[in-house]
Amino acid sequence: MKAVLKKYTLTVVSIVSIAATVLWLFGLGWTLQDQFSTNKKVSQFKEKTDSTSTEKQDGTLTIFALGDSLTRGTGDADGKGYTGYLTERLKEKTDQDINLLNTAIKGETSRGLLKQLQQSEIQRQAKQADVIVMTIGGNDLFQQGAALENLDNNAINGKKQIYLSNVKKIYTQLRELNPDAVIYHVGLYNPFSNMPDSKTTSSIVRDWNFQSAETAAGFNNIVYVPTFDLFQLQVENYLYTDQFHPNTEGYKLIAERVASLIKFEQEENES
Amino acid sequence: MINLVRNEMLKLLRKKRLYVIILIIAFLVPLFTYAQFKEIQDQREKMGNQDWRTTLQQEITDTQNRLSSSRIQDEWRKFLKIRLSQQQYYLENDIDPRAPGAPTFMRIFVENSIDLLLPLLVMVIVADLVSSESSGGTIKLLLTRPVKRWRILLSKYLAMLLSISFIVLSVAVLSYGISGVVFGYGGWNMPLLTGFTVSGDELLTENVHIVPQWQYILMEFGLVWYVCMIVGTLTFMLSVLLRSTAAVMGIMLASLIAGAILANMVSSWESAKYFFMVNLNLTNYVSGMATPIEGMSLGFSMSVLAVWGIAGFIIAFVTFSKRDIY
Amino acid sequence: MSQIPALEVENLTKKIKGKQIIKGVSFTLVPGEVFGFLGPNGAGKTTTIRMIVGLISPTSGTIKIGGKNVRTEFTEAMRHLGCIVENPELYPYLTGWENLVHFQKMDSSIPKTRLNEVIELVGLQNRIHDRVSTYSLGMRQRLGIAQALLGKPKVLILDEPTNGLDPAGIREMREFIRQLAREENLSVLVSSHLLSEIQLMCDRVAIISKGAVLRTDSVDNLLAEQERVIWRAEPLSLAKEILSLETEVTEGPDDTLITLYNEPLLPDWNEKLVNAGVKVKEMRTQLPSLEDLFLEVTGGESID
Repeated sequence: MKAVLKKYTLTVVSIVSIAATVLWLFGLGWTLQDQFSTNKKVSQFKEKTDSTSTEKQDGTLTIFALGDSLTRGTGDADGKGYTGYLTERLKEKTDQDINLLNTAIKGETSRGLLKQLQQSEIQRQAKQADVIVMTIGGNDLFQQGAALENLDNNAINGKKQIYLSNVKKIYTQLRELNPDAVIYHVGLYNPFSNMPDSKTTSSIVRDWNFQSAETAAGFNNIVYVPTFDLFQLQVENYLYTDQFHPNTEGYKLIAERVASLIKFEQEENES
Repeated sequence: MINLVRNEMLKLLRKKRLYVIILIIAFLVPLFTYAQFKEIQDQREKMGNQDWRTTLQQEITDTQNRLSSSRIQDEWRKFLKIRLSQQQYYLENDIDPRAPGAPTFMRIFVENSIDLLLPLLVMVIVADLVSSESSGGTIKLLLTRPVKRWRILLSKYLAMLLSISFIVLSVAVLSYGISGVVFGYGGWNMPLLTGFTVSGDELLTENVHIVPQWQYILMEFGLVWYVCMIVGTLTFMLSVLLRSTAAVMGIMLASLIAGAILANMVSSWESAKYFFMVNLNLTNYVSGMATPIEGMSLGFSMSVLAVWGIAGFIIAFVTFSKRDIY
Repeated sequence: MSQIPALEVENLTKKIKGKQIIKGVSFTLVPGEVFGFLGPNGAGKTTTIRMIVGLISPTSGTIKIGGKNVRTEFTEAMRHLGCIVENPELYPYLTGWENLVHFQKMDSSIPKTRLNEVIELVGLQNRIHDRVSTYSLGMRQRLGIAQALLGKPKVLILDEPTNGLDPAGIREMREFIRQLAREENLSVLVSSHLLSEIQLMCDRVAIISKGAVLRTDSVDNLLAEQERVIWRAEPLSLAKEILSLETEVTEGPDDTLITLYNEPLLPDWNEKLVNAGVKVKEMRTQLPSLEDLFLEVTGGESID
């Protein structure tokens, strides 16, 4: 009996070993094929839209920031941006933990943002938010701060129409995802207000802001936060060396303005 | 030939060494599983109670920000895009890349054991394959049979090949089975990046692509098997040349450990890259780690190993069939 | 001799590192004979045997087993050979049965039924499924012979087959070997340092020293050459004086004199002694031992 069992072991081990040899040879061959053949296509994975947990964390104030380089904080020496300073200001005023989720991407346009909002994780975070702050539109209008040379009205109007329709969709989407959180859409300033063409550019930006505010007004709890006035005078003191993005001081101005609005909201909620 | 290989397998099994090896692995895997588990816990604590998805989203945003910078090279941009799609896959499929399943543990385990642990285990099996026959005197009975010497040695070599496959398989099965208790058994489809090449100080990313983890693991195990075969062949050669199993083990142990040390300090001694023992870490090429010496690549290391292996094989067979047995 | 010799060794030489170890050894085994191989350590006994079984390749010379050349027709030659070189070293971690199966599988011409035949032949039926590590030396020896007989060889080569056995074991082994030669028509080549064993076991003997065969002959012939006469006489000194005039005389133990056996001259020597007044008490012939013979042939080189 024992001998039979022993013989059985030998056969099993041998067969398993042979099978394993084939498997490893296959793996090795695959490695060679995979590592040494060039011009691979990046395989795209099918996007699955799993609904993930969206429970809000109690006791913490979640700020969800999205948009372009302004929200990212480009130009700030500390890299915090207005969202960073906003969080700092709010922390002074409340005992709550503040959780900042910043998904802003440099150079984001309204179209890009709309696309980003289709990602499940972004959607999940939007759902979690208590406060949503965003900047968008700067890249639609200025195109990396270079293209306001073309002051042709028709061209600008074209851009504006696209932008407005995108923004409307963004608002709708955000409201769908999160009907409660107040959305602060930080408006545009004119970085070129001390340049020769300042009259023209300022009027364009003012109009842009006006139209955006109009759109925002069509939704519940969307606040279009003006910044034009903050940068109207002494713009050079508040701009980064690229003469386009705000510097630390500029961001602090924006943060303070948004912070004052949020404080107001909190008190109203508490009362 | 089948009968001869069967004989060798029988002797191998009866010597119980294979069981000892499996026991060693079965003992080590829980140890590493616990270490890995601790590390993950530690990481979680550092991150605080923040959701891993948030952290990952942050990384994605960072990547996207870097992508939007106009100053980056095209190649780097391509790599970032691939990384991005990998990270987004994790998010969309709800895979926490820092909380691995058993397949991830398997991968990490072989990547860390390819240059020392597994070669050592292989060495334990192979070292006495021929030398024990010499020192035990049974070689006299073995070689006075109506079978040519090269056939006898080949049967031993094939038995070695089978047992190496068996060891590698045991590593795979045990590491998966045991770590899965802690980490769960899922995660085979997690996407991983591969195809990095290093040229000088630069990491070339033009061939980087994503493969699912199961393929990645299969590829790495293929490489592990290859390394084990080369180490096995060299041990086999020593086992033919030397009568004493202890001497075989001593020499192999010294060179394997020397390899591990050398790999850390030979970056300026370029010709050291022709040693077999600094070329054992083949999985590093797949995962895109820096090479110990400039000019090493997967192709280079595999070729160096192949040359050593073939040389060892030829030496073993020539000496064995010509040698006088006293 | 119309038969093919079972084993034919011709002009075998071996040089190791420029040193001539074996200097032209030749001998032949006919079927059914037990051939003794005798020589001191370092004489080249073991080297010669290892060359015959293919473990060492000879520098020159030919070895034919059953008519097949060991160097050019290795597998065919080995089919006719069974051997134990030095100790019967088997795999201690396998059972006796597994050991035999192991060697049976190495030669496809051996049927599995042969296993039970050889086990019965060496009488290991009871312990065959035990591990070899639990065997006594005698049992290992028998298992060694069993494996050597597996392939129904024409030639059996046993290097020191009685080494380490107790007297009963030695006797058993001796009878077993003789029986094999007689019943299976097996040629057996035996090397041993126990000369009495060779004397009792072998039909013919080759005496080897310093890598060369000094004499090959039947045991009887070799011994007959060296037959002696032992004298007991009084007075001994006078007897010695007279005899030494006729032949070579040595003094033996217990007041005896030893001379060569020379039949036609013996009565003369006796007469001369009697005439001189010596009383011859005893006059007997004695066959010498192989030890004496060996000393004689090798010129004083001792065994062991």
